[in-house]
Amino acid sequence: MITQHTAARRAVPRTPASSRPAAALVPRAVRRPARLALAVLVILAFVSPIYLTVVNAFKTNSAIAGSPGSLPVHPTLGNLSTALTQPGHVLEIGLRNSLIVVVCSVALLILLGSAFSFWISRKRTRARAAVMAAFAVGLMIPPQITVLPVIKILAAIGLDHTYPGLILSNLGGGYLSFAVFVYVGFMRSIPAEVVEAARIDGASGLRIWWTIIMPLVRPATATVGIFLSLWIWNDFLNPLLIIGPITGQTVTVGLYDAVSNQVQPDYGLQFGFMFLAALIPVAGYLLAQKQFRAGLTAGSAR
Amino acid sequence: MKPLRIRLARLDTGLSAVAALALALYLAFLIVPVLLSLKTSFTNQNILFPGSRFVGLANYRQMLHDTALRASVEFTLELAVSVTIVANVVGLCFALLLNRTSLSYRVLRTLAFLPQVISGIIAGFVWSWMLSPDGLVNHLLAAIGVASQPVNWLGTPQLAQLSAGVVVSWVLSGFTAVVYLAALQNIPRELYDASSIDGASRRQQFRTITLPMVAPATTISVVISLITVLKLYDIITALTGGGPAFATQSVAMYIISVGFSNDAYGYASAIAMVLLALTAILALSVTTVLRRREVDL
Repeated sequence: MITQHTAARRAVPRTPASSRPAAALVPRAVRRPARLALAVLVILAFVSPIYLTVVNAFKTNSAIAGSPGSLPVHPTLGNLSTALTQPGHVLEIGLRNSLIVVVCSVALLILLGSAFSFWISRKRTRARAAVMAAFAVGLMIPPQITVLPVIKILAAIGLDHTYPGLILSNLGGGYLSFAVFVYVGFMRSIPAEVVEAARIDGASGLRIWWTIIMPLVRPATATVGIFLSLWIWNDFLNPLLIIGPITGQTVTVGLYDAVSNQVQPDYGLQFGFMFLAALIPVAGYLLAQKQFRAGLTAGSAR
Repeated sequence: MKPLRIRLARLDTGLSAVAALALALYLAFLIVPVLLSLKTSFTNQNILFPGSRFVGLANYRQMLHDTALRASVEFTLELAVSVTIVANVVGLCFALLLNRTSLSYRVLRTLAFLPQVISGIIAGFVWSWMLSPDGLVNHLLAAIGVASQPVNWLGTPQLAQLSAGVVVSWVLSGFTAVVYLAALQNIPRELYDASSIDGASRRQQFRTITLPMVAPATTISVVISLITVLKLYDIITALTGGGPAFATQSVAMYIISVGFSNDAYGYASAIAMVLLALTAILALSVTTVLRRREVDL
């Protein structure tokens, strides 16, 4: 790769300074703030739908209709409290259910994914390639293809329309593929001597995995944890069909039901509902910024 | 040597057991369901009529005359191609714009990923409100004097398809921007320094350094974009519900409507198999083409 670049660079003709593009002649002191101003404008326009969700959650319906884009002049908590006091407590139950599903699924996926990755990364190359190919398939398979048979399988073991059933199906699907791919990528860079030294001391595979490998692959755990939490929290189809309408839904499905069942759209309530439903994932994402960035850079370097 | 290996094998039983459990779950909830779907696609299974029988390729033949399916396949493919192009161009532009280390750029980078953090359901609902006849988009267009009449963005089939493309591109661009940013940050500065000493212009640097160096990220980003759109369900469900007149019904939505609303499991499974084949063919061919390009550049 590097040699190609050098070759490509040599092919670039030497241009005299006078014929350089005009942009280079604009002084730095002008270019820098202009670039930042452009970036700020573009990104603020890009995230404006999210800004709208936040500000309109704190406005009355007449304020939303009158000045949809403005900051709340007379902020109200009415929308939030209406959303929290819906008949059947859709929102609170939804938030609780989503938290349970995300925490259980992600914790178990991290344990299963990392242990499996450690095990497979020490197998012979051919066996490893075959298993990794099978796991690559999982990243590609649309959930619409598996969800009908998954419900039948869950029914056969008596777990259909239950949260343990939903969590169990999360553990086996494309989420596991993702975890395994991230972990195997990270584990490739762990020197074999680290494991061998522990072996000679008589440590078991499980012990090496837990005390040596897991601390070394912490950035991978952060990446897996952040992405899987977001995906599972925001998942719509699986809870919609696996849990069904009777038991009480996750917050994403509950939000969809609450909004789409409104005969006369109450936008204030909708925004209040959306704000509260997005609060936990957005706060989590903002808090995990450092790990998020580290994980991405490390992941793409592989 | 031998006794040592036996001892090590025994020490590994715990780890092997956990690995076997992971493998078993993967088989039970992914591989077996796909095979069951394949089997069901050759039957006339319908939950309203207990007992199903083998019908050969009847479901697959039925698809040839299913105009609703054809419309949804066409819409899904058009959406997949256009959204993949738009989201990757936008994502790369964002990444180039935001690839600076100061705090203000870091804050902007954090914001750019937000469309991926909220659920597709929220994205769909917010945009359906913004695009409604008396919504914010029409207000803006009227304010700058582009449109005198409010446009019914989600009311006519073609505009609704266009709107769906915009909204899905919006959600995906947050993801592609982050992927390209990570790739840009891994390009060694020296490459640019050396080439500017050689007198390369910004444009030449972009073509000979930036593009080749983000080629692997492009492959990942394009393939994930394609797969995401091909299985798209939640954003459109909240945005248009598949309407008007099923103009924005994705294949994924059609499968669920056939399987759950009409209870025709056999037929739904056959369509699911076609979607799987479509996804696999597109993902594999695009990967092959882009990987070859990675080497060429």
